[in-house]
Amino acid sequence: MKSYLRILGALVCLGIIVLLAIIFVPPQLTKPSEQLAADWKPAPGQGEYAMRMADCAACHTAEGGKPFAGGRAIESPMGTIWATNITPDKETGIGNWSLDEFRAALVDGIAPGGEHLYPAMPYENYRNLSETDIRAMYDYFMNEVPAVNNAVEETALSFPFNQRWGIRLWNWVALGSSGFKPETDAIAKDRQLARGAYLVQGPGHCASCHSPRNLIMAEGGTSSQDDGFLSSGVIGGWAAPDLRGANAPAQTWSAADLKAYLTTGRNAHTAVAGEMALAVKDSLQYMTDEDADAMVAYLHHIAKGERLAAPSIPDQSLSAPRQLDQATDATSLKLAKGVGLSEGELLYMDNCAACHLTNGKGAAEVFPAMSDNSLVVADEKAGLIETILYGAEMPSTAKRPEKLKMPGFAERLSDKDVAALASFLRQGWGNTAGAVTEADVKAVRK
Amino acid sequence: MATRTDPKKDVVILGLGWTGAILGMELANEGLEILALERGEDRDTVPDFQYPGVIDELKYGIRYGFMQKPSKMTLTVRHNLDQTALPYRHLGSFLPGDGVGGAGIHWNGHTWRTQDVELRLKSYVEETFGADIIPEGMQIQDWGVTQEELEPYYDRLEYMMGISGKAGNINGEIQEGGNPFESPRSREYPNPPLDNTYDAELFADAARKMGYHPFPRPAANASRAYTNEYGMQLGPCNYCGFCERFGCLNYSKASPQTCILDALKRKPNFSYKTHSEVLKIEKAADGKTATGVTYYDEKTGDEVFQPADLVLVCTFALNNVHLLLLSGIGQPYDPVTGEGVVGRNYSYQMTGGTALYFKDKNFNPFIGTGSVGMSIDDFSIGQIDFAKEGFIGGSYITGGHTGGRPIGQMSTPPGTPSWGKGWKEAAGEWYLKKMSIGSHGSNMSYRDCYLDLDPTYTDRHGRPLMRMTFNWKDNDIKMTQFMKGKIEEIAETMSPDKMASGYKKEGSEYDVRPYQSTHNVGGAIMGTDPKTSVINRYLQSWDCHNVFVMGASAYPQNTQYNPTGPLGALAYWAADAIRKDYLKDPRPLM
Amino acid sequence: MTDLPGRVSRRGFLMGSAASAAFATLMNPSFSHAQVELPPLEEYKPVFFDADEWRFIMAACDRLIPAEGEGPGALETRVPVFIDLQMTGSFGDASDWYMAGPHQPDASPLFGWQSPLTPAQIYRKAIPLFQEWCQTTHGKAFEALDAETRDSALTALQKGEVGLAPELRDFFSILLQNTKEGYFADPMYGGNYQLKAWTFIGFPGARGAYTEWVTRHNQTYPLPAVSISGERA
Repeated sequence: MKSYLRILGALVCLGIIVLLAIIFVPPQLTKPSEQLAADWKPAPGQGEYAMRMADCAACHTAEGGKPFAGGRAIESPMGTIWATNITPDKETGIGNWSLDEFRAALVDGIAPGGEHLYPAMPYENYRNLSETDIRAMYDYFMNEVPAVNNAVEETALSFPFNQRWGIRLWNWVALGSSGFKPETDAIAKDRQLARGAYLVQGPGHCASCHSPRNLIMAEGGTSSQDDGFLSSGVIGGWAAPDLRGANAPAQTWSAADLKAYLTTGRNAHTAVAGEMALAVKDSLQYMTDEDADAMVAYLHHIAKGERLAAPSIPDQSLSAPRQLDQATDATSLKLAKGVGLSEGELLYMDNCAACHLTNGKGAAEVFPAMSDNSLVVADEKAGLIETILYGAEMPSTAKRPEKLKMPGFAERLSDKDVAALASFLRQGWGNTAGAVTEADVKAVRK
Repeated sequence: MATRTDPKKDVVILGLGWTGAILGMELANEGLEILALERGEDRDTVPDFQYPGVIDELKYGIRYGFMQKPSKMTLTVRHNLDQTALPYRHLGSFLPGDGVGGAGIHWNGHTWRTQDVELRLKSYVEETFGADIIPEGMQIQDWGVTQEELEPYYDRLEYMMGISGKAGNINGEIQEGGNPFESPRSREYPNPPLDNTYDAELFADAARKMGYHPFPRPAANASRAYTNEYGMQLGPCNYCGFCERFGCLNYSKASPQTCILDALKRKPNFSYKTHSEVLKIEKAADGKTATGVTYYDEKTGDEVFQPADLVLVCTFALNNVHLLLLSGIGQPYDPVTGEGVVGRNYSYQMTGGTALYFKDKNFNPFIGTGSVGMSIDDFSIGQIDFAKEGFIGGSYITGGHTGGRPIGQMSTPPGTPSWGKGWKEAAGEWYLKKMSIGSHGSNMSYRDCYLDLDPTYTDRHGRPLMRMTFNWKDNDIKMTQFMKGKIEEIAETMSPDKMASGYKKEGSEYDVRPYQSTHNVGGAIMGTDPKTSVINRYLQSWDCHNVFVMGASAYPQNTQYNPTGPLGALAYWAADAIRKDYLKDPRPLM
Repeated sequence: MTDLPGRVSRRGFLMGSAASAAFATLMNPSFSHAQVELPPLEEYKPVFFDADEWRFIMAACDRLIPAEGEGPGALETRVPVFIDLQMTGSFGDASDWYMAGPHQPDASPLFGWQSPLTPAQIYRKAIPLFQEWCQTTHGKAFEALDAETRDSALTALQKGEVGLAPELRDFFSILLQNTKEGYFADPMYGGNYQLKAWTFIGFPGARGAYTEWVTRHNQTYPLPAVSISGERA
């Protein structure tokens, strides 16, 4: 019995020592993944481009705020996390940070002084950043971004999430190794695929939304070796759809369509909405053609199963027929006839058919199609409901500058209407998703 | 006096409608610092034209929600030099727009090219029929630019706007199904024609049987999804029936909003201010250039001087002329002596139509769009023997309709009382069963049809209103009566149960009440002689070489077509002259 | 999730108008797409017209678009409510019009509105004068006359035979215009109750979506009329 107590006492002591170590022993910082010359300087524009690819502005620039001056609220399941000021202001920004400190924040999630950043900062993905991109970004933030004195609100999560030492434990469990290594030989040997993999896994941090979160809220997969990688996630109640399944739109679309979606926010089938609209607006539209092709090639390379041949953007040459093709499916025929419609169908005719048309196909790059639309058929219904209630807007991009907007219908449609309409959308034109209830709508209506 | 002076710009654009947006884009691409001043409000498809709020006939179709408010700006009207002009107190005969996009948001989208003979009308008439057929007092002129010169700019405009149509003459080769009387174009339209409504089909069949040459009216209503040279996009038109007087809910009608503005707003060297009404273009001490403009900033109440090297006057045709008169740029026209130029040759549009009522047909008139319809150009300016017919002019004739809005577009057969049981029952009986055939004709310019400043009435800033002196003339009435004969002939072959015609007839005087057309043209006309024109063939002021005046105010007389096509082509033409020639060496280009 | 682009503000599709508060009560607060049921027209409390004026408006509308014959009349479609509400807005007070003097109300009608009065002022001044004319000519107030006499009185008014001063000469034309507007405007403005006037003539209302119907010539369009608020006939 005594020995049992002794063992227990020893374990408790050990536990306390470990805990104290977790709290007080400074963590080891990741070393540079590559040694660059001390006087290495990025090419003009290289730092800004790296920043665009990493999409720092998405979180660190508040709506209507000065660039990178922080203050944007990031809602997390644990509470609101306030994005920090990352301008070179010495008092409220990162003006006093050394390169090593900057790197530590990106790849280890550790701020100067050893404080752990909340993993809303996607260092799980930024761990893959190349040293040249890190150096280029550091140079950009220190020399090109104007300093803004702006003290942002302190993030104050409730217990236990306010115990930042817990993140260290989390990091031990959740983080993979640092530095980017293509996950297969095939990818490593193909320059384009390797570049695409780097962009997706590193700066693009696609997995932070598109991979499911596991039990400890870590990304369920950070490379295509993991089954969960980019197999769908949830952000703010919206689905971040599967990108790899054989039937996933990202795989059924042609390379040109996927590229158009990423760089212009719209393609022959649909348009970006929700957080993805921000990703296109602030980051993806700035991709070079070469990088966009690489990203698309990589995403298609990591498909699960065989990709089907895909239709491309409709030809707009003069001999092309009108795009309003003759639909023959039951839903289209019934709507076009306009007789004996259900309430959901009638609401579609009253509110939606003007743009999305009775064939549910809308128009290439302008009005998204309803059939096989990942937002429409997602298990998470919030995205569809929110779009019906409050509308959506395509971001202005260099190649497609028009901010095409869908108006919201919150004033015209009751919760019951939205439920009937959304249920119809999820089951019309061959869609097979589950119905939407009034309660689902009520939960989204603000 | 200006209460504020703002930092100088390279270019100031007055009015952000079609021509302002085109010039803005072209010159922003040259790297110039540009500011556009717009007197009205900002407007965009969502929320201003969004479904279903914009489908409100009362607010926009009847109360003119998108139009210029006479309380803020109007003009006075009289028929002749002896009358006292009276204010156009509420809108009727014509509907100037205001706000970002200007009339480009609420037009129907008929996008025509002029015929080559129209651009050299005076020479054509004199060469073909002799100068003596030109009646006393008619003051027609050549434009100073030819159809060949404008062709590339028409082409650019049509591809920017995504026009739906069918070419009739590609590089001299006549195309089946197109307009065989059009001047040669270099290629097909960017989009195929719209689908035909029933009335358009019936009219086309009847016209074809009579040996005429029906073709789809060229439409700035997209027949399919389209992307233009700026990456701007149109969605396919759904024939909602709320086109003219309304902004497009469907991104289908070409407008500055759908074709240019989001692309232009991305340019860091372009900016625009709304609620900024230009009061005056300021001239340098020597009078040879402008130094900028003074505008009223409605948000702050300031009068602001905005210095600029280049002043582009891009407001509605009537407002362009008003601004020149108020600014003393160019000598005002005097109808008695015939001297002076600003205000000279105001002209309008001569329209008429025949309604056909069929007991056994259903036209579903609510299904329509601004430009859908089948037209014939068999009686166009280039086809008519003026010496034989006794008038100068022509018209295109169309079967088609823009919509079936019940307040404004209800039409009951002749003999129906205007109210009571008879009216109600006729409205119920005939609403679905009526179609019409319309004539859209030219209007010549005359010595005593002109614009000047009114001696009595003033605007809210205390500036004199502009005064319009205008009336219908025998020549144009003869033209429209000729069209009446042709249209009724076609209509009769269609065997309607009832028929009613509405055309100006001998003695008809200009009536400001019923809507006729917003094709008010002239007053700041282009030409090659500073004695008879305000601007040269590059739309550059003869008096102040850094002032360019866009728009239909440049037309020496009206064509038989809707004016947006030529004014857009001329904007691209002028932009080219500015970019390629003027900027290198600012000076009079002629 | 509050800062996504395109989150269209709730400024909504019924952008404010002067009488929007009054209109709001006519809207369809429960989002019902079934026809709105309102209390009888007799219980309506006019916001502009006084009791005498209101009796005239009701009686005149009843003759301009009468109940008899095919189709709903002006009272069944609540046209008087529309006219009452128009008086308090930018139409009634001519706030968008150029109203500065000098005025020449007896100018040729070809030059349009030249009266110094606003439409609301014309209703206010002309109604009692016309009532006086009815008393003098027919011995009764307009609303007390039988239908046939009311029609002949309105005809006299239309023809300018009741001796109104030039600044009031447009009274009949605005009355008739407003009556037809109320009959056919969206129900949110007070008339066209339950979309009855649209249904009568076959106008489907605020649909704006006819892509596949353009080419279906000479066929009956099947869907019921819908209003801006979403009410269906």
